[in-house]
Amino acid sequence: MAASVDLSLDNTYEDPSRRADLVLGGMTYGDITDNVAEIWEAGRPPTAWYIVFGIAVVLLGILGVCLLHLFFMGVGVWGNNNPVYWGFPIVNFVFWVGIGHAGTLISAILFLFRQNWRTSINRAAEAMTIFAVVCAGLFPGVHIGRIWVFYWLFPVPTEHLAMWPNFRSPLLWDVFAVGTYATVSLLFWYMGMVPDIATFRDRAKTKLQKIIYGVLSLGWTGSARAWHRYEMAYTILAALATPLVLSVHTIVSFDFAVSQLPGWHTTIFPPYFVAGAIFSGFAMVVTLLVPCRSLFKLERLITIRHLENMNKIIMATGLMVGTAYGIEFFIAWYGGVDYERFAFINRAFGNYGISYWIMVTCNVFIPQLFWIRWFRTNLVAMVIISIFVNIGMWFERFVILMSLTRDFLPSSWGNFYPSMIDILMLIGSFGLFFTLFCLFCRFLPIIAISEVKNVSPQTLHAHGHDHHEEHATAH
Amino acid sequence: MAHSHKHEKPVETGPKSRLISLVAQFDDPHALVVACDRAREAGYKQFDAYSPFPVHGIDDAIGIRRTRLPFFVLAVALGACVFALFLQYYVNATDESPIFPGYKFFISGKPLFSLPANIPVTFEIIVLSSAFATFFGMWILNGLPRLANPLQRIPMFRRATNDKFFLVLEAKDDKFSENRSRQQLEEWGATAIEECHEDLTDQKIPAGLRRAGILLLFALLLPPALIYRVSGMTYRQPRLHVVPDMDWQDRYNPQTRGPNIGTPERPRPLFADGRAMRKPVPGTIARGDLTENDEYFRGYKTGTAPSESQSGPYAAIQDGMAAPETPPEPEWVDVFPEDITVDADFVKRGKQRFEIYCVACHGYDGNGEGLVNQRAVSLAATGDAAWTAAKSLHDPAVKSQPVGRIFDTISNGRATMGPYKDQIPVKDRWAIAAYVKALQKTGIKSPADLANDQGTATPAGN
Repeated sequence: MAASVDLSLDNTYEDPSRRADLVLGGMTYGDITDNVAEIWEAGRPPTAWYIVFGIAVVLLGILGVCLLHLFFMGVGVWGNNNPVYWGFPIVNFVFWVGIGHAGTLISAILFLFRQNWRTSINRAAEAMTIFAVVCAGLFPGVHIGRIWVFYWLFPVPTEHLAMWPNFRSPLLWDVFAVGTYATVSLLFWYMGMVPDIATFRDRAKTKLQKIIYGVLSLGWTGSARAWHRYEMAYTILAALATPLVLSVHTIVSFDFAVSQLPGWHTTIFPPYFVAGAIFSGFAMVVTLLVPCRSLFKLERLITIRHLENMNKIIMATGLMVGTAYGIEFFIAWYGGVDYERFAFINRAFGNYGISYWIMVTCNVFIPQLFWIRWFRTNLVAMVIISIFVNIGMWFERFVILMSLTRDFLPSSWGNFYPSMIDILMLIGSFGLFFTLFCLFCRFLPIIAISEVKNVSPQTLHAHGHDHHEEHATAH
Repeated sequence: MAHSHKHEKPVETGPKSRLISLVAQFDDPHALVVACDRAREAGYKQFDAYSPFPVHGIDDAIGIRRTRLPFFVLAVALGACVFALFLQYYVNATDESPIFPGYKFFISGKPLFSLPANIPVTFEIIVLSSAFATFFGMWILNGLPRLANPLQRIPMFRRATNDKFFLVLEAKDDKFSENRSRQQLEEWGATAIEECHEDLTDQKIPAGLRRAGILLLFALLLPPALIYRVSGMTYRQPRLHVVPDMDWQDRYNPQTRGPNIGTPERPRPLFADGRAMRKPVPGTIARGDLTENDEYFRGYKTGTAPSESQSGPYAAIQDGMAAPETPPEPEWVDVFPEDITVDADFVKRGKQRFEIYCVACHGYDGNGEGLVNQRAVSLAATGDAAWTAAKSLHDPAVKSQPVGRIFDTISNGRATMGPYKDQIPVKDRWAIAAYVKALQKTGIKSPADLANDQGTATPAGN
């Protein structure tokens, strides 16, 4: 076995003769289970967990108070105005739903591409997806004004309204896209977690744990027949989630692109939004996982190589986003429409020019540091860069939305200023996100234990053997 | 061999439990695959392997056939596609159906149903349904969730989800014999072997659980029972209005007292006159209220009006059903006012209005034989109603009336006939008057004329 391998072995160097190990320190199957289950079995979580959770709950409380204020007073408590009817809610919506996309990319697309390094990070990334979609769904959900008739969003026959939703409206497509995305992500996440919940069930000590994890594990025993169907179902879900994740941000971009506004009415929006979503989502995964792996001692499972791979993706998608910014300007000039030209010059040098340059700095320039190996492998550096990326991606949506302030007619121009409630709700949504994520870390397997075992050096070694033997016995 | 193991079984297991399988533990996946291979070669069919992760090559070793799950998902996906397209067509492109009619959305003149605009939702519904089919299909095919599994009573087996690998030979397999199978498992490299028993003593549902189940069943019956009870009931209270929306808004009705904006002790009305609403500024006229022209609006020559109390609806109301004294009359116009052009269309319009408003009493031919009149006359004959029979418009007295007078009769009514000026616009009243004049020119005879004709003609005829 690989027990003699040094724990500090660096798996970031490329050796063409062999694949780099994805689990370090010669961990056995039992070690991997222990490493992940210890987080859950520990009598009390690390102090840092309490601090983060405490802050998150306070922010969640602020969000709750803001929501109550909003429900009683109406949407006038926001800075939304004529001509900026959408304001912060849609900016926050697109920001959060974009973050979610990295989780599905890691769990579905990298699975279809047989990228085995995804196994260490996919569980946490999928959890992040679901919590981000919860935050995302919140904003358009409360933006409808009369939230008590939220069901008018769905094709439900109501005597009161006596009509149906308009199925040719991008806003309705959004309802279906985000609703489907949230549901499928939840199914995918839960299904992937069942074997690991069964592991927890079999290690449970208290009666309550036994009941809860026993019910959640659905009686999973790891039978070969069950695994066979499970793997098939997992592949099908991955194949369904892959076009789904592309469709979701495409449809989100349709909210803008289908309208006639200069700066919005472009065909580049769908691919550009999807690239931006993956960009911001990977940045969020890095932001979350670097502290997690230190706090919960997961360095041998989430290795520097995993983080480096993610940083490479951040750099690649950052370049795509930067290219899209450039192409937007080129088309505005090349298209020869005065309004488009004005919209883009105004974007960079107009009333919200400062946001444009924050966006370009954070999204295009700063990620270029990842060309340098030191930045890709230094934990502090990568967290700082990924936070910049998230700030930049929030501003990207803000910049796009501010096109509303300068449309065709100067008589309909206006400016947008967020209200205190707008800002508190944005901060509060981070409280919601981190509260859920902290609870997830504490009570659920944050690493896909069974999947990691499948790609650990121990298994890969055995597989090699296995192939050999099979041949031998077959002949 | 099968015979001997059937013979052995009761002796081995006793009455309280029954051996259902042998559980063999292996330390690595490779050993498990090899053991599965051996088991299949030895002729076992009823056995399964358990592992913490899907083991490569185990499907072939056990002989697991490829699952039909993908076909099931495909079928659901195709169904979802049809359903989604139908849904969108139904709710956005139709508006007639027995229940919950669709709603035709006309937007920017675009077609009601166009595939490109309906693809996003169709796609999302397909993905959603397929994901549900995959998720639930997988669990159903796997026979999960399962309330209890005897395997989980074996402490050793808990490591099946951690770091050990298990081969389980079922006792119901024809090849199974406890001693021989145990020996085989040892040969194949098992590091530990245990028996799995089914507990036969404890198969009843716990009493508490059963009671809870019965209670739940009754609780489930409550909603339909309540719905059944209230179906078709009438209520005196208004409906519960959960969502007020903007159904009730504070306001002051016209012709009411305005609010007190002072204190209860020192009341101060909103307006000096105490009204909730303002009167129009003196000298202004509301749209449509300019009715200066007597000839057009009232049918008489300007300046010939009698005083208010002597004519018009007020007089009619005051006089009630009693036959009125002939009131003083203005000088009626005998030609149509200048604003009216009498032509075929105008008379046609008059005919149409006449048939809506007048024929109920006056009849289609104007002879006063409308259904209402017939009925009222028959009631009046038995003393059940007071009724002045509708006039025949062909009565010489009516025939001789100037058109202004007919217009006035329509506007203000006469005797039992009520005023129609609030129902019929001015121009239409003139159109009816024109039609009445045209009717009178047809030569239809009034009942009185007919009676006279008969009275004079009969002796002559005989």
